[in-house]
Amino acid sequence: MKLINKMGIAVVVVASMAITIPAAMAHHSGVEFDTTKIVELNGTIKEFQFKNPHTWIQVMVPNPKGEPVEWSLEWGSPNALGRDGYRPTTFPVGAKVTVRINPMKNGSPAGAFIGAKLEGGKTIGTWN
Amino acid sequence: MKQGRLTKMNSRMAFVAGIGFLLLAGVTLGQSPVPTFDKLPDWSGAWSMMGGTVFDRASQTGQGGALAVGVREHPPYNAEWEAKYQKNVALKDQGRFPDVITNCGVPAGFPRMFNLPDPYEFAVRPEATWILAENGPNVMRIYTDGRKHLDDQWETYTGDSVGHWEGDTLVFTTIGLKGSRDGDSILDRTGLILSDKAHATTRMRKISATMIEVQMTIEDPKALTKPWIVTKQFQKMKAETRLYDYACAENNRNPVDEKSGQTLTLGPDGKPLN
Repeated sequence: MKLINKMGIAVVVVASMAITIPAAMAHHSGVEFDTTKIVELNGTIKEFQFKNPHTWIQVMVPNPKGEPVEWSLEWGSPNALGRDGYRPTTFPVGAKVTVRINPMKNGSPAGAFIGAKLEGGKTIGTWN
Repeated sequence: MKQGRLTKMNSRMAFVAGIGFLLLAGVTLGQSPVPTFDKLPDWSGAWSMMGGTVFDRASQTGQGGALAVGVREHPPYNAEWEAKYQKNVALKDQGRFPDVITNCGVPAGFPRMFNLPDPYEFAVRPEATWILAENGPNVMRIYTDGRKHLDDQWETYTGDSVGHWEGDTLVFTTIGLKGSRDGDSILDRTGLILSDKAHATTRMRKISATMIEVQMTIEDPKALTKPWIVTKQFQKMKAETRLYDYACAENNRNPVDEKSGQTLTLGPDGKPLN
């Protein structure tokens, strides 16, 4: 595990491995995400957009100056997630959360969602 | 005299009844009869396509998936269409091959109809079978009531399909495909394309209690040097699986930039992040 400081935000490169996301990114190619990296962010849930064609988790993450930055995390379709038991209430607004993502290749505050751990220990998605 | 009239009447009635029976059974010369409901296979439930959205995994060359850089499929293209395909592969390798369905609004078309993620349903009736894909959503209608293709069928994304049943196998032909003519119909994101002269014969059957197989023999005198046979399989999903709206335009934050061909990621303010 390699700890790096990117944009001043505490970012952990958990692993460097090929993660394929065709099922989650069925609507588009997913080429904009760096699937060789997994980064970890700590923040607060602003919104869970449980809509087609993909769900988006909006998370407020403080930058090095302590200013909140809104990150956009893309996940699977609400249809597929709904069949797996997830709901619009899966990410409560205001909940403290640690998320793992494949980041954007260009460093923008966005990524492909992998998994999350809510304050209290509940995990969502892939969290090994 | 009376007896003779009755015999003549009985003969006429028998003839009319015979014609009626043939019409009801849908029998026409040289064609299989339209089956009754009890003769149709049970394709109920929800089904999931196996093997990802690479169209022809069976004919894949090289290492890794065909979505990997430098790896391609090998439909039997002629030189002209091989060059077109290589151009698409090069764009794909740069992340700039545009997939029009990413922008929502156009059907996936045939044969991509059988190459989609998310569940499928197959609605089978004697007179027609409907292929219903949640993704898109996409619908394909296969008429099995004995009708023929139109002589002057125009080109569409999914074309026109008519067929018949050979036992438990649905056999149908598809014509009237627009292919890549207008630049808005592809087979998969490796850049596979066909021309507006493509047509296909498809055999669809249940090969086990939990698997349906679709074998497409695709011919394209403009783009291919010989028939291209592709097989896709669909696995039955757990009972009571529900399908939902696929409202592609509801919150599409990944449109394709038409100038660069790049898939964009829109931020919360609607502006591209890449």
